[in-house]
Amino acid sequence: MSVTRRKVLAGSAAGAASLASGLASPAIAANEPLRIGFLPALTGPSSSTGVAMNRGTELAVKEINDAGGINGRKIELIVRDTQSDATKAVNAIAELTHRQKVHVVWGPLNSGETLAATPLCARDGIPMIQPCWVDTLIDVKKYPMAFRNAPTNMQIGNAANHYVMDVLKKKKVAVIGDNAGYATATVAAYVPLLKEKGATIAYQGNVDAANPDLKPELLRMRDAGAEAIMPWSVNAGFLARILNARGAMGWDVPVVGQTTLGSGQTKALLEKPENWEKVYSNNFKNCCYDGSGKLPEKAAAFREKLAKLKIDMSDTLLWWIAVGYDAPTLIAETVKAAGDTPKGITGYWNKLTNWGGIYASLTFTPEQHNGLPDAEVVMCQANSLKDGAFNIAPGYGA
Amino acid sequence: MHLRWLEGRVTFLLLAIAAIGLPLLDDSYAGVIATRACIYWILIAGLNLVVGYAGQIAIGWVALLTLGAYTTAVLTAGTVTPEISPYLALVASAAIGAVSGVIVGLPALRLRTFYFAMTTLGFATIVTQIALAWKDVTGGGMGTPGPVFPWPFDPGWGFYYFCLILAALCTWMTANIAKSRFGRSLIAIRDAEVAAEASGVAKPALLMTVFVLSGALAGISGGLFASLQSYITPDAFNFDLSVLFFIAILIGGRGSILGPLLGTILLTVLPEIAAPLVAWSTFLYAALLLLIVLLIPGGIADMLDYRNRRPLQQHREIVPQPALLPGLLDRPDGGTLALSNVALAFGGVRAIDGLSLDFHSGEVHGLIGPNGSGKTTTLNVISGYYRPQAGEARLNGAVLPFGAPQKRAGFRIARTFQTPRLIGGASVLENVMLGGTIDGRGTFAESLLTLPRHRRDEHMLRERALQALTAVGLETLAGVRADRLQHSELRFMEIARALTLKPAFLMLDEPAAGLSAEEIRRLGALIKAISRAGTGVLLVEHHADLIFDICDRVTVLNLGKILAAGTPAEIRSHREVVSAYLGA
Amino acid sequence: MLESIVSYGLAVGAVYALIGITYNVMFTASRVFSFTAGMLGMLGGVLGALFIDRMGMPAIVGLLLVLACGAVIGVITEIVAVRPVLRSIEQHLYVLSTLAFALLVAQFTAIEWGTDASPFPRLIPIDEGLLDQKFWIPMLACAATVLGLEFLYRRTLIGRAFLAIAEDSYAARALGLPEVRLRLASFALAGVIGALAGFAGGEMLLAFFGNQSILNFYGFVPVALGGMGNNRGAVVGGLLLGLFQQAANFLVGGIFASVAVFAVFIVVLLLRPEGFAGASGARRV
Repeated sequence: MSVTRRKVLAGSAAGAASLASGLASPAIAANEPLRIGFLPALTGPSSSTGVAMNRGTELAVKEINDAGGINGRKIELIVRDTQSDATKAVNAIAELTHRQKVHVVWGPLNSGETLAATPLCARDGIPMIQPCWVDTLIDVKKYPMAFRNAPTNMQIGNAANHYVMDVLKKKKVAVIGDNAGYATATVAAYVPLLKEKGATIAYQGNVDAANPDLKPELLRMRDAGAEAIMPWSVNAGFLARILNARGAMGWDVPVVGQTTLGSGQTKALLEKPENWEKVYSNNFKNCCYDGSGKLPEKAAAFREKLAKLKIDMSDTLLWWIAVGYDAPTLIAETVKAAGDTPKGITGYWNKLTNWGGIYASLTFTPEQHNGLPDAEVVMCQANSLKDGAFNIAPGYGA
Repeated sequence: MHLRWLEGRVTFLLLAIAAIGLPLLDDSYAGVIATRACIYWILIAGLNLVVGYAGQIAIGWVALLTLGAYTTAVLTAGTVTPEISPYLALVASAAIGAVSGVIVGLPALRLRTFYFAMTTLGFATIVTQIALAWKDVTGGGMGTPGPVFPWPFDPGWGFYYFCLILAALCTWMTANIAKSRFGRSLIAIRDAEVAAEASGVAKPALLMTVFVLSGALAGISGGLFASLQSYITPDAFNFDLSVLFFIAILIGGRGSILGPLLGTILLTVLPEIAAPLVAWSTFLYAALLLLIVLLIPGGIADMLDYRNRRPLQQHREIVPQPALLPGLLDRPDGGTLALSNVALAFGGVRAIDGLSLDFHSGEVHGLIGPNGSGKTTTLNVISGYYRPQAGEARLNGAVLPFGAPQKRAGFRIARTFQTPRLIGGASVLENVMLGGTIDGRGTFAESLLTLPRHRRDEHMLRERALQALTAVGLETLAGVRADRLQHSELRFMEIARALTLKPAFLMLDEPAAGLSAEEIRRLGALIKAISRAGTGVLLVEHHADLIFDICDRVTVLNLGKILAAGTPAEIRSHREVVSAYLGA
Repeated sequence: MLESIVSYGLAVGAVYALIGITYNVMFTASRVFSFTAGMLGMLGGVLGALFIDRMGMPAIVGLLLVLACGAVIGVITEIVAVRPVLRSIEQHLYVLSTLAFALLVAQFTAIEWGTDASPFPRLIPIDEGLLDQKFWIPMLACAATVLGLEFLYRRTLIGRAFLAIAEDSYAARALGLPEVRLRLASFALAGVIGALAGFAGGEMLLAFFGNQSILNFYGFVPVALGGMGNNRGAVVGGLLLGLFQQAANFLVGGIFASVAVFAVFIVVLLLRPEGFAGASGARRV
């Protein structure tokens, strides 16, 4: 009996809560701006991704508003800098959903923050789209309103593993990461995948990112007979140290791994340009130069637009800006077609098929909220970086 | 009385009303921020006793928050154990926090300020690294979901009230400790460790108790933090958080409950208001801290302490009332403190060289001699600060073990110091109450909850201390902060503190230094009256007049040996003494 | 492999030792443990990269400017964070004032310079010999600093004045030594040594804002081991720490290497609170 009473009370409390937070519901005048809550990390550690995506997002919102908005309705982008701090992200998501009463949330852009933000968004029933790779972030049962417009960690890992084993034909692999959350989790997740594919793990380890000397680790890899190094880290300093140590040892082994391997920051930290040879980083087909050195049509036009607007490309990657640009574009299109209610937005997304963004073509179903097709995750040649994009790595039939 | 009760609590009451009424705003965002402030305060309230009261520089307390968060999250998720209720998991977090509090705090017993600060930082790093590495339990870098508390404290306002109730409880409990003899002992450890020892405060046991409490609260705070965050990763427990906890206390002011509470609210709310400045937030914290250290080292609490800014009366007189002493000291039985053949050398220097001396209750025994003759050394041997290489001490025939100064109060041996050891941040009354610490009967837990025995203790100590203050003539200054007193008043305050112990033997180390002639006269009368009330007084002094006026017996030391001993009249006519020290 | 442990261990150890000496120089002049030691090391790297890489100055000019900046920051530390609290009886205040000042400078650096590691220039444009310059430059800097300090303290008048202040500041003042100016000079000297540590170790540690906390901690370990104020102890302690850390990295590897270093530090401190070379505490009563 007490159980039923408890349930009733719990139910009514939840009802009250949704009443309180659900004021931004249907009947509000169509002239009210559409509020998008955006949670990039613009300052603090690992903010280069956030800064780049923010450029794309701001550009898209400006374009939509300049063109008259969504059926005359302007977009209001409410940005909260999370500084890569989960605590700040939790506060920010509360502010966006409860006080600003946003219609939809875009971000956060770092997995540590998104892991905290997703259940909170789900609790409040706000649709959310985010680009972080951690697999558990998408769970249609637990978080029916959360969608991903980027690859999962599995897709990234599979692409890299496929490249090492099937294209480069290397069977003995060394997997290394730093000691940050992303890297420890990723190394732990990819090693079993490699084993499943029949690889031998010659070395597996997470190393203190502050450790200035990675030569012992590389020596161990070499002694164990590793034929390829797969580093997983977003720390440019750490990745550069691996590449420099490899160069200093004169070890001619391919390095296949995280996108940051190809970032401008990693490049700046290399002791010699040669150290960037035979380095293959994750990237996306739609933002890579094909065999003939050309970008796909949409990406080429986008880059031309960026150049015209004098948006700085020297310190960033094209695909980051493209992801940032795609999200508000998709949201605007969705609201135009299905209204701004949570139900309308998620309903539209649940049926989204092959939506052609600059960065990716997204497909969602009610059972699958990971939108990116496997085939669009590729590897590229790190040292081919030019204007924020790379040559697709050899071995992908263009 | 009722008005005064209110005066100290009005800010707390206003805060409580605002906090209870917060849901009326119907702003869940404000609710999240307020919940966060409550959760931080639960940790900070406990840490406040460590940092603000005991003065230990514990910077890495985020380690305990991390442990609590993971304990609650992991137990609730049921990855290693059967799933258990979050409420039970919270209790488990408190237990683990308490144990870890002792481990993190243990170095404080051996290490000085900066060293201890560094070890706490070391622990913070170790805990994070273990959370990263122990994937099966903690989820490694990927983290683990936080617990969701079921009805009645389910997410939203229910959870807010849960945290609020716990925060209020912590405020009440730590305030109880602060006002108890334990709180006074902690501040004494911070400001005047030697005085604390002389009053019988057992530093290791007390600090460990406080670390247990602080650790338990940090564990609970961690469990709630995990729930508020909804998901925890090792990256969330960063150094900034540790700095926030630490700075909240110092901005609030040491030795206060209200100050750090306001500091916590300030530091939780400020970054939200200053959202555009988010990149500069740590910079601004640091600037704020620097400004406070330089401009108002006492913090918010000092700014609010308007009572201690009222000017004191300019020309104050100390008028002792020796008539009160028999009632206060209550020492009918006689006794003897005997040193025999005590020898103590520092390196090659013999400070005391085979000294034998008897002190009797009811007498004033003067100890004189030139500088370096071993007077203060003798005193330090009796009070346990020095451990002689040879000889023994007996109290009423029983051996008085050397060393262990904190055990002297138990033998009813009290002392004062050449430079008064005041607890600057505490009131004069609290300084004096410290003297009676060992006569408190209630335990730490009883004080935490203000149980009857604690209230009886407090009443008894307060009465006794007031009596002692009146006896030495400082009763009008009872409520004043001790660091506002004049030098001569501090000397009398130290005597009052010693009297609160009801000492069988009282050792005074140059009590007349820096006093005016009139004050010395009053001091003399007071000392004499103390001895007549049954306490044996050992007086080390340079003022020959005072010695010869009030002493029953005088011993003259030279190079650690007795040069002469006898009644003042005998000493006055002792040729060697006269020629060497007393002049013509 | 052994060669790798030894070369890296000694090079990193030399940087730790220099930071330890920075702590010591400030401590002997003022009895203050300053949290600014690691910050100075971090700035040495960042400013070196700024002057040489970004502004294109010759390495030697860059070095001199970095050292000058270190001296200025040292002087500011003394004026802003040390002098005001020395007057107060509250002993703990210096921990806060120096922590606040170090945080202030570090956050400013984080915002203006960035939080990611940046490259540090190659100082000497020669090909690698037997031992790469990034290893021998810190060792050379450490040796030069130690010899310089020995000379200063033992052979010069001003150095003896430093020691006198350290021994007993009241007595030194009574002798007519200009205590305040000597303390200022000591902090300037500490600033120079700290900045030199970061500059010399720059090719190894990069121009990275995060080096502050690492150097603060690992630079303190040699002080704790060698006894405060003891520079020779700091050098031995620093080199030992560097070797131990590299050996742990190599033998244990991964995350547990840093846990091992921290754990050993705490245990050693508990066993020998005064360090291996330090004397026991001062008179209390």
